[in-house]
Amino acid sequence: MSAAARVVTEMTLRELGRRRTVLILLVLLPLSFYLARRDLPGQSLRMLELGLGWAVSTLALFSTVAARDLDQRLRVAGARVRDIALGRLVAVVAIGLVLGVSYAVLVALDQDFHPYDGVLVGLGVVVVVGAPLGMALGAILPKELEGALALMVVLAVQMLADPAELLAKVLPFWAVPEIGYYTVDGAGQDYLWRGVAHAGVSVAVLCTVAAVAAAARLRLVKLPEP
Amino acid sequence: MRDHADEWARHLDEALVDLGIQPAVAQRLAAESVEEARVSGVAPRDLFGPAVLYARQLQGALLPAESTGSPTASAPGRTLLQLRGVTKRYGRRSVLRGVDLTVRAGEVAAIVGSNGSGKSTLLRICAGLTRASSGEVRRAGRVGYVPQDGGLAELLTAHEHFMLFGALQGMSAGRAVCTGEQLASRLAWRPTRDVLVQHLSGGTRQKLNVVLGEIHRPDLLLLDEPYQGFDHGSYVDFWHQVYGWRDAGAGVVVVTHLMHELDRADHVVELTTGAGE
Repeated sequence: MSAAARVVTEMTLRELGRRRTVLILLVLLPLSFYLARRDLPGQSLRMLELGLGWAVSTLALFSTVAARDLDQRLRVAGARVRDIALGRLVAVVAIGLVLGVSYAVLVALDQDFHPYDGVLVGLGVVVVVGAPLGMALGAILPKELEGALALMVVLAVQMLADPAELLAKVLPFWAVPEIGYYTVDGAGQDYLWRGVAHAGVSVAVLCTVAAVAAAARLRLVKLPEP
Repeated sequence: MRDHADEWARHLDEALVDLGIQPAVAQRLAAESVEEARVSGVAPRDLFGPAVLYARQLQGALLPAESTGSPTASAPGRTLLQLRGVTKRYGRRSVLRGVDLTVRAGEVAAIVGSNGSGKSTLLRICAGLTRASSGEVRRAGRVGYVPQDGGLAELLTAHEHFMLFGALQGMSAGRAVCTGEQLASRLAWRPTRDVLVQHLSGGTRQKLNVVLGEIHRPDLLLLDEPYQGFDHGSYVDFWHQVYGWRDAGAGVVVVTHLMHELDRADHVVELTTGAGE
């Protein structure tokens, strides 16, 4: 990671850290999902993971859209797209992981899952998938409202679709129910690995889409020398 | 550490004298630079870079004071920007038609025109942010772009902006902040460390915009009405600065609607629905 990308990460963290209301809502979103189904441990965990994925992807979306003018200026001043995009991605993932670890502690105290590693993997997966998902949508759709609605479509369909159907499998958070079978229903480790593999592919695809979209959005016209 | 600072100061002193600065002034500048580095807690070389290069920066900074009120530029240098027959259309609407302009190092070009005549679009084309529909755009060197509005992070401070933009040129945080503060002082602005951009006045935000446009020492500055919100003193400082950049060898393209500044510019492009020099 270059020095420029590190500074972008640091400044993104500082800026997001000053959005107190956003941070509070960021904590409340997964928590409300979790508490709404707390009577059913398996469902509460799945809802928590999807809520965390939603929160992280929304944060990435708004972070990307809000910084567009600044990023264009940084480009003119000589910044590389990869430094800008990587810097912001790392910042959002870092915040997401802090949230994920906090919720992992909450689940450990409040519920009784065996094996517990599925909880950690499930929470980690939604963070690393959610961040590039939000960035990709933020780079493709220029307006905040458009991006937010698109994100709602993706997440709502993911929640409603039957995990066994193709529709659910092509959506980025399919790993959540798969890992849930392992963590909650006692299914074999193959479910865990299938979920992790799906998340890996999702991250690769979403990072590629986010990088291509960011490169297009922040592209500078090549001007020849006089 | 002290020996290194003394040696750096001696090199700076010699380089300034070589560049035509009076020995007494050179000595004072060298001493002030070393003192500034001492206060910042870093070696002068880490803060300002090599003495010879910093001497050139100081020389550029001194030139505005020496050229006050002079509309005459030094001999123009290499071509930094060349526009030939540039047009821009959005659908059927023609925003720019046949714009020609050549800006060399050491020249100031003013872009004037009524609202909606395409001034900002032309500047975005020069910056490489917008593609011209037809015509030829050629550009050399590093560019500093100062948009009319936006381009700042509301929840960062001025110092954090200096760090962010300075990092792109490999500057350390300390050096970026010092450079930013130096440039801000030329616009009669002293940035406060913990005030967020969202709490700055319109004029101060524009000063930050101007500083960020030049913090990486561009060869060509593109300024889109950057003085909006400036008080009279800052406005005078700004134009002083524009001709300072010119005399230091930079090319400057500035969008303006103030006609009384035009006689000092080397080129004037007036935009209507179509445009030419």
